[in-house]
Amino acid sequence: MSQIACTHCNLTFPEDVMIAEQHNDKSLFFCCKGCQGVYHLLNSEGLDTFYDKLGDTKLQPAIQNNEDLEKFDLEGFKNKYIHTHADGLCEVNLIIEGIHCSACVWLNEKVLHKTEGVIETSINYTNNKAKIIWDPEIIKLSKIIETIRSIGYNAYPYDPKLQEERAIRTRKTYYSRILVAVFGSMNIMWLAVAHYAGYFGGIQQSFKDILNVAEFILATPVLFYSGWIFFRGAYYGYKNNIVNMDTLVASGALSAYIYSIYAMITQRGEVYFDSVVMIITFVLVGKYLEVLSKKHAVDTLDGLMGSTPTEVTTLKDGIKSLVSIENIVVGDIIELKPGEKVVIDGEITWGEGSFDESSLTGENEPVYKKSHDTILSGSLCLDSVLHYSATKDASNSMLTSIVNLLEESITKKPRIEQLANSISGYFSTIILLIALLTFTGWYFWSESFEQALIVGISVIVIACPCALGLATPMATLVGISVAAKRGILFKEASFLETMAKSDILALDKTGTITEGKPSVVKAEYLQNFDPALLYALVNTSNHPISKGIKAYLESRHDTLEMLTLEEITSIEAKGVKATYHGKKLLGGNDALMEFYALKVDANSENALFFFAINDLLVARFELTDTIRKGAAKAIQSIQELGVKVVMLTGDHEQSAQKVAAQVGIDEVYAKLLPGDKSAMIDTFHQEGHVVVMVGDGINDAIALASSDISIAMGNGADVAISVSDIVLLDEKPESIYESYKLSRRTFSAVKENLGFSLLYNVIAVPLAMMGFVNPLVAALSMSLSSLVVVGNSLRIKRLKFKSKE
Amino acid sequence: MSENIVILMISVSTFLGAIGLIALLWAVRTGQFDDESKFIDATRFDNEEDLRDAAMMEEKKKARKRKKEKEYRPAD
Repeated sequence: MSQIACTHCNLTFPEDVMIAEQHNDKSLFFCCKGCQGVYHLLNSEGLDTFYDKLGDTKLQPAIQNNEDLEKFDLEGFKNKYIHTHADGLCEVNLIIEGIHCSACVWLNEKVLHKTEGVIETSINYTNNKAKIIWDPEIIKLSKIIETIRSIGYNAYPYDPKLQEERAIRTRKTYYSRILVAVFGSMNIMWLAVAHYAGYFGGIQQSFKDILNVAEFILATPVLFYSGWIFFRGAYYGYKNNIVNMDTLVASGALSAYIYSIYAMITQRGEVYFDSVVMIITFVLVGKYLEVLSKKHAVDTLDGLMGSTPTEVTTLKDGIKSLVSIENIVVGDIIELKPGEKVVIDGEITWGEGSFDESSLTGENEPVYKKSHDTILSGSLCLDSVLHYSATKDASNSMLTSIVNLLEESITKKPRIEQLANSISGYFSTIILLIALLTFTGWYFWSESFEQALIVGISVIVIACPCALGLATPMATLVGISVAAKRGILFKEASFLETMAKSDILALDKTGTITEGKPSVVKAEYLQNFDPALLYALVNTSNHPISKGIKAYLESRHDTLEMLTLEEITSIEAKGVKATYHGKKLLGGNDALMEFYALKVDANSENALFFFAINDLLVARFELTDTIRKGAAKAIQSIQELGVKVVMLTGDHEQSAQKVAAQVGIDEVYAKLLPGDKSAMIDTFHQEGHVVVMVGDGINDAIALASSDISIAMGNGADVAISVSDIVLLDEKPESIYESYKLSRRTFSAVKENLGFSLLYNVIAVPLAMMGFVNPLVAALSMSLSSLVVVGNSLRIKRLKFKSKE
Repeated sequence: MSENIVILMISVSTFLGAIGLIALLWAVRTGQFDDESKFIDATRFDNEEDLRDAAMMEEKKKARKRKKEKEYRPAD
C-alpha cells in the first residue's frame, strides 16, 4: 500500500485511510478533519504561502479542542497571568505548543496580527514563548487562544516573573560585556603586532608612546566594564574568605594593568595591556556558556507550571462551581474529570479510576485507585469522573512543593562551584603569597619601593596567563569533545573535575537501569487468528502494556492492515473491548477475562495480557520491564573503580530488590517520593560523599538538581534533562562507566598540566623574583609552556574504554 | 612618517570600530538578539508583506490611542 503525506502536517499514512478531496484542480490528502480544516482556513485567508515556507517539515496533526476555553477568562487566571497596563491594555505571556520551524512562527504571528483587537505580538522561536498585548474591550483572551488553536497549535500561559526576566537580563549584560571585550582585544592585538615588531627591530620612544597610550585607552573599558564580573566575584570571595579563580584573574589583570600604566608613564620597560584584555576576554566567554545553560533550564520549568490548571470544580451541597486553587480549603469536595491534572492532594470519596503517577514515581504503569485512596497532585486522572476531598491546600500540595524545590536548586548550585575552584584556589593563593614575599624581600634588600613593586607585579604577570589560563580548560575541552563523540554531553567543563572526585553513584530504576516500558518476554498463540485484529485493538489504547504488545507485533509481522473497529470501550484498569464485523474482541488482564467468565492461567510474576475473540482465548502474553543491555556489566565496572552504587526508586520494595539483584546492587532504597530522593542525596552529602545521580523522569528532577553531578537519559523528561549536568544520548549504561573513566583521565591530565605549570613557575617565578624577567624571556617561556600543556591534553584522546576485551 | 599620521590612523580606525560596537550594543539593549533562530531566519523571510504587517500594527495602536483621546474629551 502506498504511503502519502498529509497536505497540512506532512506526516505519511496509507492512502486509503486519508481524506481525499479535489481543490482547484489539485488533489489533496488529509490525515484528519483537523488538518483539512486548517488547510482551508489558511487558504481562504490567503496565508497558503505558509506551505512554501514549511517545506518538508513535519507538523503535529491539527486536533481541534475547545473544551477548556472558558478558563482563560476566569478571575483566578487573570490575577495570576494577565498583566494590565496603565492605559487599559492587557499583556499575557504564553508558551505555544506545536511550533516546529520558523514557518510556524510566521503563521502564528501573521494570524494574530490580523486578529482585531490584538495590539502587539512577538513569538520567540528558540523557546516558543510569545508575548501578546491586546485590548480587552475588543477581544477576550479565550478568543485569542481559540484563534491559535484554530490553526492547529495550542497555547498555555506562564508567569515570566518566575525567573525569565532575570535570566534574560543577565544574558544581555553578558552579551554587552563580551562585545566590548572582543572589540578591545582585537584592536589591541594589531597594535601589539607593531609593538613586538618594534621590540625586536627597534622603535623610537615617541612611536612607542603613541602605541602605549592607544592600548591604554582600549584596555581600560575592557578591564573595568567587561572585567567587572571578576572584581565582583573576587570581592564576594574575599568576604567569604575564599580565594577563587576570580581572585587570580582580577588581581592578575589589575596588577598587570597598573604595572603597564607605570611603564607607560615612566617610559621604562614594556606594557602588558594585551595580556590584560586577553585574560578577561577568554575567561568571560567561558563564564557566559554557563549562563546559557541556566537559561535553558528556566524555559522548561515554565512549561511544567503552565500546564497546570488554575481552577478546579468543587461540589458544595450538590452545586458545582469553579473555584481558583488558592481558595480551596482542606475538606472541600473536588470533582475530577478524565484527562485532568490533579493540583491538590486529597482522598477519594466517590468513584474509582486509573491514575498516571509517572511524574511522581517514574513508573509508567497506571495506578488503580478507589474510595479512601489518597491521590497526590502531579498525577493525571486517566479514564473516569470521581470526587475527592482536599487534605491539603494548594501551596502545601505535592506539585507546588516540587516546583518550588526545583526553582531553588536551579538558581543555586554552590557545591559544584566550590569543588571546581579548589585547585585553582590553592594555586592562586600560592602565587599571590610569593608575589607578596618578593615585594617585601626586594623592598628590604634594595630599599627602593618602586623596584620592589615592579618585580612583585612581574611575578604575577608571568605566572597568571599561561599556567592557569590553559592548564584546566585545555584538558577539559579535549575531555568534553571525546565524550561528545561517544554520545555523552557534558554541559560544563568543570563537571568533569567534580565527577572524577565522586565516590557514590545513585541510580533510578525505571527508565535508567531498565528500559522504562514493558516489552513482551513470552508470547503464546493458543489458536490461529489474524494478528491485525489484535494490532487494531491495542492501537486504540495508550496504556504502556498495549504499546508493548504493539511494538511486539510490529517486530514480528511486516505488514499489518489498519482495520477500523467499532464499539470501542475501555474498561477501567482492566483492558479494551471492541467489535469487528460481528466478531467480539477482548483484550486485557486476568481480571477482565474472569469478568467475562474465561478461564486463564494467571500464574506469573510478570504483567499479563490476554486476547480473546468471541469469548475464546486465542493468545497470552507476558510482559515485563526489561533491564537495559549491559547494565550489570557497567555497574560492576563502576564498582571496580571504587565507586559505591545505590538504587533510589519510587517503585515498591519487591520489584526494586528483584532488579537490584539482577544488576548487582546491594543498597536499595524503595518507595521514595521525589522529595525523599533528594533527602537521600543530602544524607550522602552530610556523610561527606560526592554524589552522582542518574535519572530520567520528572520525579528524579529534584534529586538530580541537588546532587553534585546529575546525569539524564537522552529521551527522559525535559525537566530532568535541563537540570542535569550530563546527558547520555545513547542511553547505554556503559556510558555512565565511560563518563567515569573519561572524567578521571581528564582530571589526571588537569593535574599533570597544573604540575607542569607549577614546575614552569618554579623556574620562571624565581627568575622574575630575581628581577631577570624581560619581555623576550616572558614571550618565549609563555608560548613554550602553552605548547606542552596543549600536547599533554591531546593525549586524552588516546584513552581506551574497553581495555580488557 | 611623522607621529601625527600614526595618531590619526589609530584614532580614525578605532573610532570607526567604536561606531560598529555602539550599534551592536544598542541592538542588544533593544532585544534584537533575544531570539537567535528568528534573527537568522529574518533574512530568509524578509519581504514587503512583513513591512506592511508592521505598519498595520502601528496603525492599530494609533487608532486605539485616537479613540481613547476622543472618549476622554467630554470629561474635560
